Amino acid sequence: MRKTRVFTALSLILVMLSSGCTHAEVEQVGGIFVEGQSGGDAETLNWILAADAASFSYVGHTLDTLANYNNQLEIHLLCLAKDVEVSPDGLVYTITIRDDLKWSDGSQVTAEDYVYTLKNLMFSDWLNYPYKNSWQEDVDGDTVFVTPEVVDDTTFTITRQTVDPEFVYIIYDLIPYPKYITTKYEGDVEAFTQAPELNNLTYTGNLGPYKFAEWIRNDRYVVERNPEYYLGKDSGAPYFERYVIKLFGTSATIQAALEAGDITYCGIEPDKVSKFKSLESINVYTVPTASYTLVGYNHRANGWEGLKKTTIRQALSMSIDKQVITDKVYLGFAEPAFSFIPMTSPWYTDEGIAKYGVEVLYDKQKAIELFYQAGYGKKRADGTMEIIDKDDRLLKLILVTTTGGGLAEDIAFLIKQELSDVGIEVELKLVPWETLVRNYLMNKVPGTDQESRYNNGPEAVSDEPWDLVLMGFGTDVLAPSGSGIFFTTEGGLNFFGYFNTEIDKLFKRVRSKEALDKEVRQQIYAEISRILSEEQPVDFLVFRRSNVGFQKNVKGIEPGISMGYNYYLWYFE
Amino acid sequence: MGKSWLRDYIIKRLIYAVIIAWGIVTITFVLVRVGPSSPADKYLANMAASGQDVSQITTAIEARYGVDKPIFEQYADYMVNLFQWDWGWSFSTSMPVIDLIKTHWIYSFQLILLSSLFAAFLGILIGIYSAVKQYTKIDYTATFLSFIGISIPNFWLGVMLILLFSVKLGLFKAYYDTTLPLFSLENLKALVLPVITLGTGMLAGYVRYTRSAMLDNLRKGFVTTARAKGLPERTVIGKHAFRNAILPLFTIIMFDLGSIVFGGAYLTEIVFGIPGLGQISFNAIFADDYPVVVAVTLIGTFLILMINLITDVAYTYLDPRIRYD
Repeated sequence: MRKTRVFTALSLILVMLSSGCTHAEVEQVGGIFVEGQSGGDAETLNWILAADAASFSYVGHTLDTLANYNNQLEIHLLCLAKDVEVSPDGLVYTITIRDDLKWSDGSQVTAEDYVYTLKNLMFSDWLNYPYKNSWQEDVDGDTVFVTPEVVDDTTFTITRQTVDPEFVYIIYDLIPYPKYITTKYEGDVEAFTQAPELNNLTYTGNLGPYKFAEWIRNDRYVVERNPEYYLGKDSGAPYFERYVIKLFGTSATIQAALEAGDITYCGIEPDKVSKFKSLESINVYTVPTASYTLVGYNHRANGWEGLKKTTIRQALSMSIDKQVITDKVYLGFAEPAFSFIPMTSPWYTDEGIAKYGVEVLYDKQKAIELFYQAGYGKKRADGTMEIIDKDDRLLKLILVTTTGGGLAEDIAFLIKQELSDVGIEVELKLVPWETLVRNYLMNKVPGTDQESRYNNGPEAVSDEPWDLVLMGFGTDVLAPSGSGIFFTTEGGLNFFGYFNTEIDKLFKRVRSKEALDKEVRQQIYAEISRILSEEQPVDFLVFRRSNVGFQKNVKGIEPGISMGYNYYLWYFE
Repeated sequence: MGKSWLRDYIIKRLIYAVIIAWGIVTITFVLVRVGPSSPADKYLANMAASGQDVSQITTAIEARYGVDKPIFEQYADYMVNLFQWDWGWSFSTSMPVIDLIKTHWIYSFQLILLSSLFAAFLGILIGIYSAVKQYTKIDYTATFLSFIGISIPNFWLGVMLILLFSVKLGLFKAYYDTTLPLFSLENLKALVLPVITLGTGMLAGYVRYTRSAMLDNLRKGFVTTARAKGLPERTVIGKHAFRNAILPLFTIIMFDLGSIVFGGAYLTEIVFGIPGLGQISFNAIFADDYPVVVAVTLIGTFLILMINLITDVAYTYLDPRIRYD
């Protein structure tokens, strides 16, 4: 117990030091922090039913996860008393929570609450938690749940039958439901869905820096300072009286509100950054993200046949200038991407990576030659080459992307121009997201009554033909193996139909016992990145940077990839 | 007793209103439910990403929201509940539909009411003045400005007003603040920009209609007669010309009211962050939240029918020659 307290005190001191605050007396409670958002509203505060990020974001103000990570990607303990212990064989995870976590009725949050949440709610058939697969593993062809068990009031274990070195990151995100309330609704999905305590977060006790106050749908979500917050015992944090998420319909109005001083913080689009930087009242921070933009090549039967050839994909990627996209579309707030692992990830390496689209591998003449060598070109009388399809006609490709995204449309037009320069005609199809998903990404084997999915095997095709798709993907910087869903044969989001047994094996290895050794894991990631950069199943375009603006009187901010990890220490000057 | 035919007419129209509302609710319900999308769609990407069986989970989620039953059964359940004042559970906002509407109707109502009053009052006033001063600088200016007003998209106007009056001049907040007391000067101030945004197009239209209707009447014989009798010009314009011009104007104003109830206010709500029924229903459509879609349609339908009824009844007072025997 003493050890826990010493550790907690130490971590608090470290957190305060790292937040750059040297004068504790300046951190006073007061003020209302207003975050402007232009995305959609959350769906529910009953988080186990949520499928959207906004719901988890809202709930996160009142319920801490076990841990998150800081800007240096080091684990930052929240409800954990100490870091998760993993047995040497990588199968048993021992989780020790703090002993000062309380529900609203004053009772202690125990290991039993966590295990109950896992076993009776997240793993249940009646509730169908949308992300339950994260807690399942394949054992001899069967899909089974991991086994949680209570050890004592503050300790529980989770036992796997197979090794997954990155499973610990799933554990860090765990939040509990109060067993004393939830048992009332167990087994009755309608009652659970509509339970007032769960929808109004009346149970959250001291588990988050704020307590739920008000939620006006499509307008604002308000939480108020929780003076009992377990991480604020010594520091007095959090320091804002209220934290408000105000929703706006357009990014123009949200940015006008920031400029007018009506809100405290919001995201800023690249073309507005210089304007906001020139304002005396605003601090603008540019931080890296784990989101990237790519062009996916359709390897399936309804894509142009040439896209199945590596040389052709390389030639296409060689024709699109990533530096121009970075500089002209993102105005420098991005960096060229060559694999799914961002430079900020500890698993990133550029050793052996083929950097298509920049420097020597941005070469349109070479691209035309590659087409010619692959049988899709002919020589004119003057000796120059032109690209043709197998019927000796001008090659036409269909590029599909979503409407409404200004930058996506800009990139689409830029790609059309780049490919036009090498003699390929691109037909742009700008469609709503739902149409993109249903008609272009989801697929099934023709002539069968299969349910459409993102990957129904190599024979499956989408309803509408397409060749290139422009869209955004995301990676977990600490656990990038999740991206196997895009690039493996069985990958649930491998809608472009890239199948490579070597890649399948590598993604399997990165989640195996040998990958417990970080050096081995690093090598495997390097090999995956190398193969993908060489084979170009997709053209990784850029990793995006995010720009955010704060009123200058907000202090305690640590700009970085995980900027809000200790936002409860932010305060008004 | 003198207007018993009017009472019978109103009762008849109310009965029709119920039948029409029921028909529209039924059509809306069927259209929303037979579409290809499902409330489970939003889970698809996540489910696929985690390698789950999409069809199994889709079935489970549809069961959670009761959309797995045969459509007739869903319809019967919905109608029975509706008559018991249970409008269902909104699964995109996680609250009872009736509570959702109770919370949000007022934001749309105040915006629509104030915009209509602003547009009608100013539009008619300027229109009359413009007609009386035909072919003067004032008339040309009013005509020019009203064409601009009709042409400006209200979402653009809203953003420009915010940039000028909120960002540059700091006179108003850049968004509508729902924390302000409803009946307060602060709330009225917060509504100034949204009301101008929504009302400008209507105002410009009313200027044109009023001018045109007034010019028609000012040229008629009864106006010449009134003038020949030596009546003051104010009486000639107000009691004779305008009295006869008001009927088509009233029709247009009520028609506009119906249009903005059914979506016209949506863009203004978006620009100023007003959480009215326009926003609620728009989001519900994209979330396949059929209890909300049907409820908002029902309310909108009923309001339109009532506006039409009020318009028809008002005709009999504005022009006593009109009867609905």
